[in-house]
Amino acid sequence: MSTNSRTRTSSQTATPPTGVQAFRRARKDRMVWLYVVPVTAVFLFVFVGPLIYTAWTALHETSYYQIGKFSGLNSFAELFADSELPARIWTTLVFSIGALVIALPAGLLSAIVLNNLHRFKRSIRSLFLLPWLLSQATAGTIWLWFLNPNYGPASAITQALGFGPTDVFSSPNSALVAVTLMTAWWSYPQAMLLFLGALQTIPVELYESLKVDGGGIRHAFLNVTLPHLRNTIVSVVIVLLMLYVQMVTIILVTTRGGPIGSTETLSMRVYNQMFDKFDLSGASATAILLFAVNIVLTLVAIRFRRKESL
Amino acid sequence: MSTTTSRRQGRLGSVLRAVPAWAYVILSAAVVLPPVAWIFSTSLKTASDTLEFPPRWIPDPLSFEGYLGLLTSTNSRFFINSLIYAVGSIVLALSISIPAAYVATRYRSRRMETLMTGILVLSMVPAIVVFIALYSMFVRTALINTYPLLIVVYTAIICGQTILFLRNFIENIPVEIEEAAAIDGCSRVQILWRIILPLIRPGIAAVAIFIFVFVWNDFLVGTVLATTEDMKTVQNGIVRYITTGFGSFWGLFAAFIVVAFIPVLSIFLAFQRWFVAGMTSGGVKG
Repeated sequence: MSTNSRTRTSSQTATPPTGVQAFRRARKDRMVWLYVVPVTAVFLFVFVGPLIYTAWTALHETSYYQIGKFSGLNSFAELFADSELPARIWTTLVFSIGALVIALPAGLLSAIVLNNLHRFKRSIRSLFLLPWLLSQATAGTIWLWFLNPNYGPASAITQALGFGPTDVFSSPNSALVAVTLMTAWWSYPQAMLLFLGALQTIPVELYESLKVDGGGIRHAFLNVTLPHLRNTIVSVVIVLLMLYVQMVTIILVTTRGGPIGSTETLSMRVYNQMFDKFDLSGASATAILLFAVNIVLTLVAIRFRRKESL
Repeated sequence: MSTTTSRRQGRLGSVLRAVPAWAYVILSAAVVLPPVAWIFSTSLKTASDTLEFPPRWIPDPLSFEGYLGLLTSTNSRFFINSLIYAVGSIVLALSISIPAAYVATRYRSRRMETLMTGILVLSMVPAIVVFIALYSMFVRTALINTYPLLIVVYTAIICGQTILFLRNFIENIPVEIEEAAAIDGCSRVQILWRIILPLIRPGIAAVAIFIFVFVWNDFLVGTVLATTEDMKTVQNGIVRYITTGFGSFWGLFAAFIVVAFIPVLSIFLAFQRWFVAGMTSGGVKG
């Protein structure tokens, strides 16, 4: 795709009219850079500047967002000496991997089911997409209300079964499980859409020849569908992991990282350090750690992007 | 979604084969629908009925007091703000990313590719990382808590995806059209304005839809960079009921959610195809 337009022009007739020549010459001129000035300015302002500022504040003492004197790598030393950090990293891992393990198969399965349906396709696609159409804040708060220990229907069901009220957000483990499940619930349609796009590129002939050879559904899935989706699966894993690693909203509207820090992922920790403890340099140090995790994921994503097309 | 595909596979599958698929659909409905239905039911209850336990799914008596109670100036401000942020971001993002997408597609060079990769990589940086810096940089200035700042931030977050999406559209336009225009004496700006722009109209529509839904559904930007209540967004309005609510606010809360969801839902139902195309363009292509 990337060389498409270039080859098309160069393979034209040997003696192009002068206008075309002028057009091609114009392609080389410097004025084209004017077209990317605004977008570059916006990115310098919103991403590059703040990233440098984050590194700067991490290297200084701060009190209430005011930058004090230079402190070297102190805030990083504090970050890694913090006895809570391993727990936060563990929480991030459980949250991200947990949500991934649910959202990925759910997305794949939904895509396959949708691809094989013949009736009510549109309605069922809407049904599958519904959680994702809701905002993250909505997804978090409606579950909060649904699971409300005093008035929620979930509580009524568990009480009728003799388990007592569903007080999921008051105990550390169940809160983490709940937040993870809610995130998976909200995000699986994203995986589904990516899979759906990839499924449509698989040639039907492959399934037909497999059928002629007497292969069943399981064969079709293992020998045609899965190999074709290999790259897509990697892409979806990366997209979802990036989403989960930087997830703040769903956690923020339900638990704010509590109870006793059990749902505080690294992103949530950045938020809490910044807006609860007013510890700018600490938040910046955590943010840089988060940024490092993100860079690793981005590099993997770029590797896979190069193989396909940009 | 070619119909031939499904038809041929339909021959493959029998009625029996459809059973697990429909079982999966029913299971999904059982997982997806209850909280949504519960919110809808709550929004139509009287304030005292929302606190009834065990809960009743069908509101009786049917009441619109939740919806009527929404008509406060604070609430309408949330909606107006979100609308301003969304429209502002659509205008700004389109006006900076269309030229960029155009030159990035037609005037490829190593440096241009590097710039575009840089933009894509930067737009994957976790939002919270740049937000804490933006907040602490501007908290003491007049720029925080203003429409322009929030619009620029929203624009930056979505620009990478917008450019990528528009590039795919521009790539599909035969370059010969542009060459013909150049022969007739069109300048580059004129080519972009008179030829490219009309041809990528569907792409622009998809991008506009995508930006609207993104801004409308975003919670974090409004939480961090809008510091006073009168600048907050719709999503902040939803969560405000939970964080500051007392008494029986659940009816109002549910009604607010339903009303806040209406724009997104109607855009989705009206433009399903473009909606999905725009929303998935951002992810790593597979």
